[in-house]
Amino acid sequence: MSATPFSDVLAALTRQRGVLGSMVVSEADGIIVDSNLQIGVKGNVVAALAASLYRKARLSAGAAGLGTANFVQLEAERGRVCAIGRGDLLLVTVAESRANVGLIRVEMLRATQVLEQ
Amino acid sequence: MTVAVVENWVEDPLRRFVGDARVRLALLLHPSGQVLGQSGFTRAIDVMSACALAAAIFASAGELGNQLDGRPFHVLHHAGKERQIFIAPARTPRGLYIFLTVFDRESSLGLVQLYFAEFEQRLASAAPPIEPPQVVLAENFERDLNHNLAALFGRA
Amino acid sequence: MSDEIRRLSDELAREPASLVFLPLGEALRRQGQTDFALKVALRGLERHPHNADAHDLLARIAVDRGELERAFDEWDMVLRFAPRHAGARKGMGFVLFRQGKLEEAERYLAEAMEADGGDQSTIAALAHVRRALGRPISEMPPAPERPSDAGRPALPPLPEMPLQPRASGETRISGAHHRGSGEVRSSGEILRPAPSGGGLPEPPWLSQTLRNSAPPPAAPVPDVDPREREALARNPRALFADLIGDADQTALLLDAEGFVLAGAYVAGDGRDVAQEVGAELSGVSDEAQRAMRHLDLGDWQQIVVETEVATIALAPGPRAGLLLVAADGAMPLGMVRRFLDRAAARARSFVEGIA
Repeated sequence: MSATPFSDVLAALTRQRGVLGSMVVSEADGIIVDSNLQIGVKGNVVAALAASLYRKARLSAGAAGLGTANFVQLEAERGRVCAIGRGDLLLVTVAESRANVGLIRVEMLRATQVLEQ
Repeated sequence: MTVAVVENWVEDPLRRFVGDARVRLALLLHPSGQVLGQSGFTRAIDVMSACALAAAIFASAGELGNQLDGRPFHVLHHAGKERQIFIAPARTPRGLYIFLTVFDRESSLGLVQLYFAEFEQRLASAAPPIEPPQVVLAENFERDLNHNLAALFGRA
Repeated sequence: MSDEIRRLSDELAREPASLVFLPLGEALRRQGQTDFALKVALRGLERHPHNADAHDLLARIAVDRGELERAFDEWDMVLRFAPRHAGARKGMGFVLFRQGKLEEAERYLAEAMEADGGDQSTIAALAHVRRALGRPISEMPPAPERPSDAGRPALPPLPEMPLQPRASGETRISGAHHRGSGEVRSSGEILRPAPSGGGLPEPPWLSQTLRNSAPPPAAPVPDVDPREREALARNPRALFADLIGDADQTALLLDAEGFVLAGAYVAGDGRDVAQEVGAELSGVSDEAQRAMRHLDLGDWQQIVVETEVATIALAPGPRAGLLLVAADGAMPLGMVRRFLDRAAARARSFVEGIA
C-alpha cells in the first residue's frame, strides 16, 4: 500500500507503549482512510464503532450546550479507545489498559495538525 | 421498529440487524423480486416497488460488473443528501438473497457493513435445510397430470 | 397592585436572580393573589433550588391553596436544607393537626418550640394539641389572644377528633391557663367529651401562625457531617452538593431509562436543565454499550469527552443507570476523574438507600 499523508503519524502513534493500533477514519462513514494496526486488531470494527461513538458524543455535547467535543476517550476493562476529530476525519487509537493515556492524548493532539492539512 | 417476515427464520437476524445498525428501512428479497422480510415500510405497495427495483438494480449491477471487470458488482452503496442506500447479496444454504437497507445519520456505512456481515452469518445459520425433491411416482404423476389437464381445459 | 408589590416586582425584573422573589411572593400571598405568588415562588426556586426560605414560601402558598400534602413536602424539603427551621416544623405540625394526626403534630410543634422557644404562636399551637390529646400543659406559658382574621375566607371545620378519655370517661386537665375556643376555666376542671357529631373547633390563631408569621431568618447552612450527609442523601437534588463545593462542576445520576434520579444541573440563566442534559448525554453510553459488544475490550468503565469549554465524564451507575459529571474545561483531567469516582461512590450509597 502506498504511503498516505497520515502514514508517519500513524506509525509514530502505534509505536507508543501499549498502543495496539491507530487509524484515520472518516467520521461520517466510519470507514478507514489509513491505518497502522497490530495483527489481530479488527480495524474495520473499531473504525465504525469509534466514529459512531465520537459523532454521538459530539452531537450530544453540543445539544447539551457543553461545546464542541474534540477528544473522546472510552475506557473499558481490557483497553481503551481514543478519538480526536478535525473536520471530517478522526484520529483513532486503540490501546491496552496499561498504556499511558496522558502521553497518548498529547501525541494525538499533536498529530491532529496532519488531519487539518 | 416492526419487522414483518414471510418465513419465520428470517425474523431474528433481520430484527437484530435493524436494532444494531439503527437503519430506517431494511428489506430481504429473493432475486426474483419476492419479499422475504421487511422492516420500516409503511405500505405494501412500497415494499413491492422496492423489491422490484432492488432486484433489477442488483441484476443490472451484476451484469455491468461482468462487462467491465469480468465479475459482477455485488455490494452497492449510494449516499444521498440525507439518506444512504446499501444493497448486498446475502448467501445462505438455501441460495442467494438480496438485502437492501436505507439509513441516515443515526448510522454509517461502516456500521452497516459491520452489522450486515453479522446478519449474513445469522441468516445462513438460521436458514432451514432445503426439502429434498419428492420422488415422482407414476400413479401420482398420472393423477396430477389428469388434474392439471382438467384444470387447464375446464373439466376439473 | 400595592406600592410594595410594584416596587418588589420592579426590583425582581431588574435582578431576576436575586432573592427579592421571597418578599414579593409573600406580599402577593398576603394579598390573596396565590396564583401570582405561586408563579413567583416557582420561578425563584428554579434559580435557588436549595434555598430553605423559598421552599418555606412555597409551602405557605400551598396551604393557602388547600394543598396540604404539598405544603408538608415543601416543609420537609426546608428541613433538609435548614434542619433547625422552626417555621417548617410549625407548619408540618399544623398540617398534621389538620389531618387529625395529633401525636405527630405534637412532636413537630414541640421540636419547633425547641428551635424557637419564644414564638408565642408555636406555644399556643402546642398547648392546643396537647389539650386535645389530654396531656398536661401546665408548664406552658399562656397563649396570647389573637384577633380574628377578618376578611379572609374561613377555614373549613376540622373533622371530629374525640378527646382522649380516661378510664372514668372523663378527661382532666390540670394547670390550664389557656383561653381560646377550647376554653378551660380553671385548673383541675373536668372537660367532658364533645357531644357526638361535633368536632374540635379550630382556633383561629392555629392557622394564622402560617398566614401572618414572617419567615424566620435563614439558618446558617451547617458544615456537612455524617448525619447531614445522610440527610442530604435523602434529598436527591442535593446528593452531590458537598462533593461539588464551590467548584464549577456538577453531577447527575440517571436511571436506566435516562431519567434524572439525583443531582441538579443549573444553566447560566438559572434553569435546572438536568433532564435535558441527561437525556442528551445518556445516548453516549448507549453507543458505548453497543461498541463494547464488538470491540472485545470487556465492559466499558468510563467515557471522557473534552470540549472547548467543559470536560464531561460518564460512568456506569448502579442498577444499569448512568453517572454523569461535568466540569469547567480548566479543571485538570485527573481531578475530574477523581470527582467522578467520589460521585460514583455516593451514587451507590444513595441507590442502596432507596432500594
